[in-house]
Amino acid sequence: MKADNINNVCEEEVYASIFSTHSKTIFNYIYYKFGNEEKAYDAVQEAFIKLWENCAKVSPQKAKSFVYTVANNLYLNVIKAEKVRLKYKEKGPSTEYESPEFILEQQEFKEKLDNALQALPENQRTTFLLNRIDGKKYAEIAEMEGVSVKAIEKRMHLALKTLREQIDGI
Amino acid sequence: MEENYLAKWLNNELSEEEVTKFKATKEYATYKKIVDATASMEAPEFDIAKAKHDLDHRKNSDQGGKVVTLDSFKKYLRIAAVIALVVGISYFYNTASMDQVVSTQYAERAAVTLPDNSEVLLNAGSKISYQKKKWEKNRNIVLEGEAFFKVAKGETFRVTTNMGVVRVLGTQFNVENREDFFEVSCYEGLVSVRYKEKDIELPAGQALMVINGQLTTYTIAEAQQPSWLLQESSFKSVPLKFVLQELERQFDVEVETKNIDLNQLFTGSFSNTDKNLALHSISAPSGMKYVLEGNKVLFYDETP
Repeated sequence: MKADNINNVCEEEVYASIFSTHSKTIFNYIYYKFGNEEKAYDAVQEAFIKLWENCAKVSPQKAKSFVYTVANNLYLNVIKAEKVRLKYKEKGPSTEYESPEFILEQQEFKEKLDNALQALPENQRTTFLLNRIDGKKYAEIAEMEGVSVKAIEKRMHLALKTLREQIDGI
Repeated sequence: MEENYLAKWLNNELSEEEVTKFKATKEYATYKKIVDATASMEAPEFDIAKAKHDLDHRKNSDQGGKVVTLDSFKKYLRIAAVIALVVGISYFYNTASMDQVVSTQYAERAAVTLPDNSEVLLNAGSKISYQKKKWEKNRNIVLEGEAFFKVAKGETFRVTTNMGVVRVLGTQFNVENREDFFEVSCYEGLVSVRYKEKDIELPAGQALMVINGQLTTYTIAEAQQPSWLLQESSFKSVPLKFVLQELERQFDVEVETKNIDLNQLFTGSFSNTDKNLALHSISAPSGMKYVLEGNKVLFYDETP
């Protein structure tokens, strides 16, 4: 949203709209990093309290990178990372027949993928999942992480490469 | 292969030739599997309503007076900002001398305060114009697109569209007027809609919709405000064509379709903030598939 015409974060409406747009992404972002739901929830709270305290100083255009920065800085003194658990969306009843072998194979693949994701360096995992699960563009992730788009491409490339190597066992 | 070609592949940036080459490698099958599997993954649930509630609670206890003391100043700031914008526009376009024009581009919204302190929130791809100096004499707003009006107590004005005229008295209502589509929803008080020489009164909780000249009225499900203010576009038995047009406005994308019946009725809603989620919410119920490339979306149906 360009919205130069809605001009103040201290306006509850503006503030609420920033919250509804970015809170879930921040939650996911921190979760992909550390695998801790509680910490991710707290990061959202901290980031938006800080935004409120500084609402007169932060323009709506800057609010997004402001909340990401606060959430990011919160756990700079690295907390112990836990296992990142990701669910698979429930699919509707499948119309195709799936053989037990196929289902078992799927199961095994998912397990391997899970472990491989876990083993990725934190910055690669976070970047990869923000793109794959949240559909974030490389440019947006670059903004969140405070690095160049090129660096994000590199992380995406390496992440996918490493995942494949882990899964294929090479 | 190009540097970071896996990242480029995911982003549809590889040339056809490169894609063919990549697909021929023995690693491709696993890459494809990984990408497909991650597409159906989800992060843990995040209760956004609870988070907002907790946050509001903390905001109020941490610094009680702050909100109130700054409020009037903020109001002033916002009005000043809107005026500045309007001046900018009339400077460039130099339209009919007195007219105030506020318009939004695709993927943009705006808030406007009228001379009588009524508030107007403009949805994407919309425009309002009115006479500011002669407001007392001519309380008329011309609307193209969609807007939500919060009318100040005791004030009255007309909203004119090319489909019909809406008259109000101290109320909250939403008007949407797009090509061949006209919808008025009343959330508070009473509005009167003049459509084809007939006056129709809409009390709170009622809505009226005209699609291709066909008029229907219906009850709004327990809402206090239109869903687009909560970052969601909702539809009830609306031809798919209009749903896709709204998608274009909300995300500034170009929609194309192939083998799709654009007149099939759609009931449901889509997110205004998460493009992939929105595409999914539209395509899944209608059994369509889609591909997103840059800012172009193609919806198609595989079964002939």
